[in-house]
Formats: sequence, C-alpha cells, structure tokens
Amino acid sequence: MKRWFSKDKLLYPFYILSHPSDGYYELRHRERGSVPVAIIITALFSFCYSMNRIHASFIVNDVDPRSVDSMSELVGVMLLFFLFCIGNWSVTCLMGGEGRFKDIITAVGYALLPLVLTMVPATIISQYVAADEEAFYYIILIFGVAWAAILVLMGIMIIHNYSLAKTLVTLFLTFCSMLIIIFVTIMLFDLLSQVYNFFRNIYVELQNRV
Amino acid sequence: MKPKKQTRIAVIITTIIFCMMFGNVTALANDHVPYDTYNYDYRDYIVHTPAAYVPDNSITGVSFGIGAFNNPQDLCIAPDGLVYLADTNNNRIVVLNDSMTKLIKVIKEFDNNGTLDTFNRPFGVAISNKNELYIADSENKRIVVLDANDKLIKIVSNPQSDVLEAGYVFTPLKVIVDYADRIFCIAKGMTEGIMVFDSNGQFTSFYGTIKVEISLWEKIWRKLSTKKERSRQSLFIPTEFTGIDIDEKGFVFASNIDNQGVQAVRRLNPSGEDVIKKGVKKNVGGDLMTGGMYIYSGPSKIVDVAYRDNGIYSILDSRRGRIFTYDSEGNLLYIFGGLGSQAGTFVAPVAIESLQNKILVLDATRAEILVFNATEYGMLINEAVALRFDGDEALAVEKWEKVLKLDENFEIANVGIGKAYLSKGDNEMAMKYLKLGMSREYYSIAYKRYRNEILKDNISYILTGIVIIAAGVMITKKVLRRRKNIQDDTDGGGLE
Repeated sequence: MKRWFSKDKLLYPFYILSHPSDGYYELRHRERGSVPVAIIITALFSFCYSMNRIHASFIVNDVDPRSVDSMSELVGVMLLFFLFCIGNWSVTCLMGGEGRFKDIITAVGYALLPLVLTMVPATIISQYVAADEEAFYYIILIFGVAWAAILVLMGIMIIHNYSLAKTLVTLFLTFCSMLIIIFVTIMLFDLLSQVYNFFRNIYVELQNRV
Repeated sequence: MKPKKQTRIAVIITTIIFCMMFGNVTALANDHVPYDTYNYDYRDYIVHTPAAYVPDNSITGVSFGIGAFNNPQDLCIAPDGLVYLADTNNNRIVVLNDSMTKLIKVIKEFDNNGTLDTFNRPFGVAISNKNELYIADSENKRIVVLDANDKLIKIVSNPQSDVLEAGYVFTPLKVIVDYADRIFCIAKGMTEGIMVFDSNGQFTSFYGTIKVEISLWEKIWRKLSTKKERSRQSLFIPTEFTGIDIDEKGFVFASNIDNQGVQAVRRLNPSGEDVIKKGVKKNVGGDLMTGGMYIYSGPSKIVDVAYRDNGIYSILDSRRGRIFTYDSEGNLLYIFGGLGSQAGTFVAPVAIESLQNKILVLDATRAEILVFNATEYGMLINEAVALRFDGDEALAVEKWEKVLKLDENFEIANVGIGKAYLSKGDNEMAMKYLKLGMSREYYSIAYKRYRNEILKDNISYILTGIVIIAAGVMITKKVLRRRKNIQDDTDGGGLE
C-alpha cells in the first residue's frame, strides 16, 4: 500500500505539472510514479468531464442533460485511455522506446491532471458569466487542454528517451495501431459470435429432432 | 402479526401506485382525437401536447344532393366567406356558403363569347379581392376568369415568351391572384418557378425559382465520373411547387417537396426572393424526426400551404397526414392530423384552407372536406401569437400563461412570459422562464441585469469585506515579522 500511496507518490503528479522534464525522467528511472494514482487521476478526469457536461451554466452548455451518463462516460474514458496506452506500448516496443507499460500508464495518467484542475474552476466560473463573457470560460478550458497535450507529448518523449520528431511519429503510429486494435477486436467478436451461433444452432437442431 | 402488517402496507402502496398510473392514463385518454398531437422541443425531442384542433365534421357532395365529389383537388375561400371547391373529375366548381351547410351553386359551364363552354379537369381555384373566380382548367390548358355572375371576363392560355421552350404545353394546376390581379400559376412540369401573368393575361416572368443545391460530394463525384457515366446519372432538376397562397401584403407563400426536410415552404416577396424566417431550428420543413426504415419514415411531403391571419401559416403533409402550423418567425406552434380511415383522418390530403377558427382540409380520395375546430389550447396560441405579431407582448402574456396551464412544456410561451418579465424588470422570474424556454440570448441579458442588481445591493458588504481582509493580512504580516525580529534578536543575543 505504501508503495503506491505514500505522501510523496500522491504529491508527485503536482511536481510533474510544473517540472515535466525532470519529473518524467525521475518517474522512469527512480520509480517515483504510481500506476494506481494515474488510474485514479484518469477516473477523476472522467468524473470532472461528466460534471462539466451536466453542471456548466446554461449559457455555455448546449449538452442535453438527459444524454449524460457518468458511468458510461467513465467506461469510455477508461477504454480510450488503455487503448492509447496499449497502442503506444506496442509501437514503442518496436521502435526502441525505453518506457515500460507501467511508465506509459503513469505518464499519460499524470498528464490528465491539468484537465481535472481546470475543468472544476471553469465549471464554477461558468455559473457567473453572461453570453458575451464566455471567453473566460473557454480560455480556462483551452489552457487546460493545451497543458495536458504538452504533458503527454513530453511524457512520451522523456520516458522513451526519444527526440521530438520521433515522438510525433510514434504518436501518429499510436493512433494507427489504436484503429487496428479496434478493428481486430470487432472482427474477433464478430467471428466468435458466428462460432457461438453455429454451435447454438446445432444444439437447437438436435433438441428439436432428438 | 408483524409480517401481516407489512403485507398490508405493501398492498396499500401498490394500490396507490396503480391508481396513480391509471389516473394518468385516463387523463391522457380524455383527449381522444384520432391522431397524434405533438411538438418538438429545443432538442428535437417529441413532446406530446394537447390537441390544438379537433375534427368537427366532414362535408361530402352527397349531403347537398349533387352526387359525390370525384377527386377534388383544390378549395379556396372568397372574401365574403363562400367556399369554392374544384371538383376535378366531375368537371365542375362547387360553391358552398360560409358555414358549409348550404349549396350556393354549381358552376359547370359558362358562356364563352356566345358558345357554351365547359371545364375539363379543373384543378385549382382562386378568388380575387374583386370576387372574380380564377379556375385552372388543366386539361383545356387555360385559366378561366369568371365574375360573380359566372360571366366570362377573360381566358388565359397559350403563354408566349422567349424564355419558354418551343412547343411548350401550358397545363395550369394551382393558381392564385394578388391585389393587382396578377395571376401566379403553378403549371405541370414547370420547374423554373411559378408563372406570373399580368392583369391582361400576358405571361410576364417566372417567379421564385427554387435553386438546386449541389453538395460538394456530388460535385467531386461528377468530376470523377466519365461522360458516359454522367449521362446516366440523375439530373439536378429543381423541385416543383405544390401549393400556393397569398397574404394580405401580397407576399406569396408557396410549398414544395423538400427531400432534405428543411424548407418546404417559401415566402416570396414581390421580386420573387424567399424572405421566410426559419426560426431557431432553421427548419420549416414539417417533421424533424424523419429517420427509420419503415413506410412511415422520410421527410414530410408538403402538398399545400394556407396563409392564416397575423403571420401564421399552416402546411399540409401528405406522407403522414400532418398539419404543421408556424408563426411569422418560423416557430412551430402545433402539429395535428394523421392518416387513417377514421373520421377526422386523411387518405390523400391535397389542399388546406383556413376559415375563421376552422381549418378545412380537402381529401381527394375520400372526396370530402374535413373540418377541424380550434380547441381552447389552439385558440389561446393563435391569440397570443396574434398579439405578439401586433407588438402587444404585455397582453400576450395573459394568453401565454393560460397556454402554460394546459401545456407547461410549451417553449414559445415560456419565452414570451420571460421577455415580458424582463421588460418589467423582474430579472429573477425572467431568468426562470427564459431558461425553461431555452432562450440563451435573452436569458443572458436577464442574468447580466440580475448580477448587476446583486452586486449593487451588496456593494457595501463586498467593499467592507475586502478592506477587512486586506487589513487582516497586513496585521498578520506585521505580527509575524515582529515575532521573527524578536526571534532573530534572541538568536542574535544567544550568539553574543
């Protein structure tokens, strides 16, 4: 337990926010990261995202509250998160990346922290803006997204010990591999269901005849 | 003893729940009309509403002893209230009184410069302000104009113009007349627009052509295909108009079938430009939910339009038999009507007209005029929209409040009330109603005023608070510094 949730481990994501370069290096080489903390941050991000969709003020929010389901959004965010991590891992394994799978998970998970930290105040501020002051709300959101994007980029770059160009190439390949994974999964499910249906039909046929 | 008590409570609770459920069901069933009455909310969900119009009776030819109508195609209402009906396959025009209880006359023939002339498939009828009757005599390829005593005034036929193809055969279907006796005519197969004839019966121009919109995808596809392929692709031909009406300012309302379901009606200004307002949804095409694979799906097929008073107009959909009513701003007010064989439903609706508080729909296959009466709900909406159209928003609020009592989801009513509160200065109530009405723009105005109000009322507290906090910070800083100094002093003393 202490290995994952010591005070140092819990505060480390905040250190990375302001010192991404050193932070990610130590995360890779000095075991300062924690996979459960990264997953908790991802879950928190999903939660804040749903909260923002439901509770952002009427003026900036065009989302139909009936369409928001925080549980299915949590599942979606988690699936996407792991899909990205697996995709990145499978690409960087082949391209001489130094990061292990748990490093990728921690790097990406920690990079979502700025989104958590900006979405909550943005949602609160949205309650106090009128139509022509929406910019304040959007600036905060964009700031958070940009920060997170920079963190993801630097995280991937440093844990794998890549150059910037190579990082961008691997990110592109990561998206390709994500698509391939989705395709293969869907195909697998389809084939499996056909096999299942085949045996089920045999069973039904036997039941009716015997 | 204990389990028995629990079962009894359970039984009571279930009965209460059942009562509540069935109570609701009966409340809904009270409103029995043979069709769905609904509207679309801000997010395009279907919201069921009370019926705005209910079926009253239907008028057939048999009831007047003139034999059943045969495939009637059009009806119009004269300024004096008489109802004219084009009984197409019987080759006659039937005239009824304003309550449609008595037959006034049947026009079968007229005196054409000494010879007795008849009609051949009269398709459309219109009546001018001077009480002159215009008949689109389709298979005789002419428009016949008669005065109030059935005397021939003129015949419009065989239009001549450079813009018409050689050998063009003029088959008028629907016709309407404006205050200057100009004739607007929808002709069969004429995709270039409405044909306009001047008061002498000379063809002057086309009017309100529907522009064909080719999507980028179609453009790319055409670029990629060879000449041979291109010749086999479908042509991009503008759609024809289906129905026509005119408002008191001389603007022409014309309906058409839009396969996108976006714009099925146009309001054409005197120079033929479309000036219709499409409302917040940017849609005046009938049903919004048109998806699905079953026979009932697809965009509405609008076959006729009827201009009513105060900027309100209704369009008639033959695919689902619905009547959609819009106000001058393009807001959908109410929807009613349906296909079927019950009384009050349609088989093949072809024309719509409004007469006082009634809506008349002509059904070609049933060969009867179906009459719909406005309910309290429909009347209230009509009156409220009329008051707003005249700029009387304050008076309209009373009506909107009554509408909300009957249908609390009606967004236009909520916006109307919200705006009235806003101009009265009650920003908090305005915010409540404008949010219910999903009017972001006005909600924001109300919110801004409300926020300023709160700030103004509490400015003294806020300023005092700031001063106190600032003072507190300064004092703590000073205290801390002094403490540090003392410590430093003692430390220093220690060193010495």
